Amino acid sequence: MDTQASTQSPALSAVILSGGKSSRMGRPKALLPFDDKPLIAHLVERLSQRFSDIVVVAAPDQTLPSLPVTLVHDAVAHQGPVGGIYYGLRAIRGPAAFVTSCDAPFLQLPLIDYLVSQLTHNGRGYDVVVPVWQDRLQPLHAVYRRRVIPHLQEQLATQRLRPVYLYDTVPTRTVPAAEIKRFDPEGLSFLNMNTQEDYQAALAHWRTLSAPISCTVELFGVARLTAHTPRVPLTLAAEATLGDALTVLGVACPALLGSVLSADDTGYTSLRNGYACNINGKDFVRDAHTRLRAGDSLLILSSDAGG
Amino acid sequence: MYGFHGRLLHIDLTTQSYTWQDIAASRLTAVLGGVGLGAALLYDYAPARVEPLSAENPLIFTSAPLVGTGLTTTAKYAVVTKSPLTGFIADSLSSSFFALELKRVGVDALVITGAAEQPTYLQITDAGVEFRAAAHLMGLSAQDTAERVRYTVRTEEEAEVRVAAIGRAGENLVRFATLSNEGRHAGRGGVGAVFGAKKLKAVALRGQRRVAVADTEAVEKIAVTLRERSVGPHTAKYREIGTVANLAVFDRLGSLPTYNFQNVPFAQAEALSGESFITNGFSQTHGCAACTIRCERLFQSLSGEAQRLEYETLFALGPMCGIEEPDAVLQAARLCDQYGLDTISTGGTIAWAAECADKGLWPELRATGLSFGNAEAILALIADIAHRRGAGALLAEGSRQAATHLGVEAEGFAMQVKGMELPGYEPRSLKTMALGLAVSPRGACHNRSGAYEADFSGHVDRLQADAGRGALVAASEDFSAVLDSLIVCKFLRKCFDDFYAEAAQLMSAVTGWEYTAADLRQVGERINTLKKLFNLREGWQPEDDWLPPRLLEEPLSSGVVQGVSLTPDELRLMIQSYYAARGWNEQGLVGEEKKRAVGL
Ligand code: SF4
Repeated sequence: MDTQASTQSPALSAVILSGGKSSRMGRPKALLPFDDKPLIAHLVERLSQRFSDIVVVAAPDQTLPSLPVTLVHDAVAHQGPVGGIYYGLRAIRGPAAFVTSCDAPFLQLPLIDYLVSQLTHNGRGYDVVVPVWQDRLQPLHAVYRRRVIPHLQEQLATQRLRPVYLYDTVPTRTVPAAEIKRFDPEGLSFLNMNTQEDYQAALAHWRTLSAPISCTVELFGVARLTAHTPRVPLTLAAEATLGDALTVLGVACPALLGSVLSADDTGYTSLRNGYACNINGKDFVRDAHTRLRAGDSLLILSSDAGG
Repeated sequence: MYGFHGRLLHIDLTTQSYTWQDIAASRLTAVLGGVGLGAALLYDYAPARVEPLSAENPLIFTSAPLVGTGLTTTAKYAVVTKSPLTGFIADSLSSSFFALELKRVGVDALVITGAAEQPTYLQITDAGVEFRAAAHLMGLSAQDTAERVRYTVRTEEEAEVRVAAIGRAGENLVRFATLSNEGRHAGRGGVGAVFGAKKLKAVALRGQRRVAVADTEAVEKIAVTLRERSVGPHTAKYREIGTVANLAVFDRLGSLPTYNFQNVPFAQAEALSGESFITNGFSQTHGCAACTIRCERLFQSLSGEAQRLEYETLFALGPMCGIEEPDAVLQAARLCDQYGLDTISTGGTIAWAAECADKGLWPELRATGLSFGNAEAILALIADIAHRRGAGALLAEGSRQAATHLGVEAEGFAMQVKGMELPGYEPRSLKTMALGLAVSPRGACHNRSGAYEADFSGHVDRLQADAGRGALVAASEDFSAVLDSLIVCKFLRKCFDDFYAEAAQLMSAVTGWEYTAADLRQVGERINTLKKLFNLREGWQPEDDWLPPRLLEEPLSSGVVQGVSLTPDELRLMIQSYYAARGWNEQGLVGEEKKRAVGL
């Protein structure tokens, strides 16, 4: 999926919290260099592939490089994530925002797309979508609707600074690891850095990590008529499988769900009976675990070739 | 008897007489109806080595046990004869109200032998047969013939007749002429020419007889389930676009033959795609009687007329002839329907002629302007074929026979098997289909087996041949033989969970005879063995199960399948695996033991 994917309508926002303490790191995490560029600049670059409205929440006295974002400052320093989310949501233009910390170098756009799509799940609307990774809620890699602002304000006033209080109050969709693994099998999205050692390890991984891959889905027949497009570009996590691609396709083209694709309770998506998939016009593939390569074209067609 | 009438009507055109004859229950159990019963009757009624366009060649219409039960997609009939195009069995299906009426006439089959002296049409009711003069119908299209026959009825009752007729091509003995009713065609193999040779213009039917089923409640229950399944995802392609949906995807897969199988892909595939037709020119949805799928699509031509279009027609009159304009394809399809020409053979034969013209092998033809993509010249040639005018006279013989007049080079690119032009499935990139086309009893046929299904399944490598394909093709042929003999439309085939078990249940409920899944499997094998035995009797030789030289000598040279080829050794390997799967010997001959094993 690329920037014009249908899930970004109406336009949603992203919030990067950069005002947290960096005491163990000894220097601001937002400015840690990766490929000679501060990490926050990488984050803004990546998120701007999806979000036209990006808000960075900095500490009251923090200076940051010039970035194409809306910059706001915590009015009161160090109120934890709840404070950052609160100030960030107040500044967004859209109805909801994906919120991340500034020290997560390996954000995966397909996962973010998926989390955003889960604001509505099984016909129910949610105010928060928060993933659970290694049995822990991940409030700083989550999606919040703007309308939770009063609840956050109340939490700040009563000094209840743990995000979980919010989740107990408003409709919250927790996304289990099984679903996350479809998009980010190793949970790289949740890797953040607190110490110099963490930074060095992340840097090493940064260098070895292959970039996300781009693939194209080509739709034929009923699939094309249903989606109203012959082609859907997808950005997938490196090492993505056919099952991952179909899941991301379902998010990009929700019209295909039900007719051509079917999603299980966890959002994992497969082709319905009656449809087949071919890679690059050559091999027909049936196994959802088939690995995709950058540049692959996935053809979705009727499995009945009778004429 | 339930499900069947247990009798046939034998009509002799020469003596203008008819008799009803019983058909033994044991025979019906063994071969069902449709194509199975047709093949069995053909074996009996055709004198060995009969000349297809002689009076002696029987023309056989068969009904089937499921016809008239109200089960979705079952309003079908078969026409079986010895093909003037191939010299082997021709078993074509058509459908709709004519099929329902055939069953109401109170017979399981019509066997028409002899030949009339003057143009004739048959008016058949459950009371008997009238031989009526048809001079006033000559030259009319099948549709106009049907209207005229209904218009000139003598009683109110007759106004309800259902008519199957031939057009000018059949009258002129074009070897790939069709028989048509209600816009549907018994298309392949030239049954229309056999009509023409008998001076038979049309058959009009009107009947009142109903056949009871043994267990109404059980049949109704199955009917409800099948109706529900028939509108599920398996048939979405047929319900929402029609078979024209094949074109764009086949092109993308390197499986759409173009320019007389000279190469793939086709530059204008998008413009000719079913998706474009639906979006830009959709006119109407039609379906056969009693069908819940309704796969027929009519598209608007620039002249404002609605024209029915199927994938095979689109392929044969489009990319195969190098035609890029959607409207030109619609016009060509309209002409073929009007004259009663099989569109696949017409397109295949013209594409061959265009290549001859291109290569300078037929200078007179080149002088007419015929070349790939010249729509005007191609439309004119369609009319010439139907009238047997000029070069059309030779082309009316089909590409195989025409090529023998032009020499070895031209024979090498006559894209036919057993004389029947190939359908729109590129054998080099669909290896199972390549085998299916080579061994099919009626010639290059995509209907009497669905061999391509394996290639599209992901279970086999469609680009590589192997010895597993024989069993797949044999199984697919047997499956199709049962479908075509029950009869159930092939577009319903994926709506069964366990086809043989469900079909056995259905047949038991309809006929009251106990069928098992194994019985029906054997019926499928028996019918295919019977077809083979007929072909053997008519002179089949091992070299008849083969593909045109082009497919075995020229690799595909561009697109996703660039470099993909099919070698003679690969084809031989697959053919041997097919004979082995069938239990035939290495020469493809059927032994006595095998005949006994399948109950023949
Ligand atoms: S699916 Fe199409 S061909 Fe088959 S019975 Fe229905 S309308 Fe006729």
